[in-house]
Amino acid sequence: MNIFVIFGMGGAVGFLSGLFGIGGGFLLTPLLIFSGIPPAVSVATVTTQVVASSASAVVTYWRRKAIDLKLATILLAGGVFGSLIGVVLFEVLQSVGQLDLVISLSYVTFLGAIGSLMLFESVRAIRRRKSGVAPKARRPGQHNWIHGLPLKVRFRRSKLYVSVIPVVGLGAIIGFLGTVLGIGGGFMMVPALIYLLRVPTNIVIGTSLFQILFTMAAATIFHAMGTKTVDIVLAMTLMIGGVIGAQFGARMGQNLRGDQLRLLLALLVMGVGLRFAIDLLLVPEDFYSIAIRKGAGA
Amino acid sequence: MNGRRFLQPLLAAAVLFAACHASGAQNNNDLVTSLSSDVISIQSNFTGTEIVIFGQVQNIERQPNDPSSLDLAIVVEGPPQDITTRRKGRFLGVWVNREAERFQEVPSFYAVASNTRIGALADRDILDDLGIGLNHINLAVSGASNVPLADRDDFRKAFIRLREEAGLYSEQESSIRFLTNTMFRTNIPLPANIPVGEYKVKSFLFEKGDVISSTEETMAVAKIGFEQITFKLAQQYPLVYGFLAVGLAIFTGWLAGVIFRKD
Repeated sequence: MNIFVIFGMGGAVGFLSGLFGIGGGFLLTPLLIFSGIPPAVSVATVTTQVVASSASAVVTYWRRKAIDLKLATILLAGGVFGSLIGVVLFEVLQSVGQLDLVISLSYVTFLGAIGSLMLFESVRAIRRRKSGVAPKARRPGQHNWIHGLPLKVRFRRSKLYVSVIPVVGLGAIIGFLGTVLGIGGGFMMVPALIYLLRVPTNIVIGTSLFQILFTMAAATIFHAMGTKTVDIVLAMTLMIGGVIGAQFGARMGQNLRGDQLRLLLALLVMGVGLRFAIDLLLVPEDFYSIAIRKGAGA
Repeated sequence: MNGRRFLQPLLAAAVLFAACHASGAQNNNDLVTSLSSDVISIQSNFTGTEIVIFGQVQNIERQPNDPSSLDLAIVVEGPPQDITTRRKGRFLGVWVNREAERFQEVPSFYAVASNTRIGALADRDILDDLGIGLNHINLAVSGASNVPLADRDDFRKAFIRLREEAGLYSEQESSIRFLTNTMFRTNIPLPANIPVGEYKVKSFLFEKGDVISSTEETMAVAKIGFEQITFKLAQQYPLVYGFLAVGLAIFTGWLAGVIFRKD
């Protein structure tokens, strides 16, 4: 593949990630898959790219001291464990020839569900803004079932006192999905931290990015050792395109309203999910495919 | 680079001439061959190349009025691989991989050149035995397979077709040219995606359907420079490769964070 095309794709996704304030893995991996790069290589290489894009943001949040290190470390422990399980599953699926199918189905499910949730939420927010009704303020003191679990730990930075079970579990789920699908998972982590654990919003993004950075670093190493599908040259090209694109995106994002941005993002997410669904349903151009299993180039 | 590419065949021809003359009169029907290069180096800018195979048939009076008396076939074979071929089928409305057939120890690269139709060289048994021609490659399958017997041939055909589409298998009939009555040459293109390893170049001389002489040479395909370093790291030191990828990523990200610092 042409290196400038890949650079351009990195830049375009970087622009969108800067615009919407997202990692962009869930857009970049599909884009690479649609352009003909094997899904296994796309996933593993994007995990590396996510390390770069989150590292650049973590620098900023670190400086603002907007990271709860204790919370991030416990999330990370779960994340590394989830990532390890992910790589094992990845290898098993690859050997039975169903990896591409599982990746596609997962993308259809996740992007479809999250896209439609975001779509409803943003349409409602836009309507509310137009009709002039003030949104109901959330009561921060409210408790849910999660706060009844044992093994409680105090997180001073987040002003929280919760069980480690949901924290480790959340980290593991995101680490697992990130490793199998080539996504950072910030778009799932941030809402989960806010709504389930009630982490203050000013701490959420920095903490989530910090955990994604190290979980994806672990995923890169696991992929390099297990599936051997990390391509450093491809990853570097995407990274450089990505970090440059993100700067332009961030500047443009400041001129758009939050609810409008979320509506655009929702449509984008649903579009990518739809594309995966169509590819699964359409009669394939070629019924046959081959995979090298042993020997030169395996 | 280009200069060398054109010079090498000439050099090979010159060496060949010298060799033939030095050895003097030999056994009848002797086949001598030489490659334009016995090492193919893959660098980052490698977009494929070709090798030229020269040869001489000694002490054979090639009859101008009976060109079919003498035939040649040259096979270039890459290191062996195990390759699984899968076929998609519909399952609950979704297209998924259903049947799979694993071909064992098949060549990762295969090119055959001949001076006439492959089928006209010799009987089917001989061609099968020597693996000359795309239809005669030995495609051994593993015992475990969920492919119905009636569909086995479809899998073989699909396998060959996909490898041809990737440029890794090819058949060039009538591509060997006789330069004189006894000297011949042919070009075998090597695509950008050739696997690395030890290649075999086998040449066969047929007379009226029988192999009367053959040669076998080896050729190495290897990555050099940056390509070799990353390939070797990824294959032999995957832990180092992984940490290198992470290190580069963190550095790139950190650098971008510093360069585009706003506050």
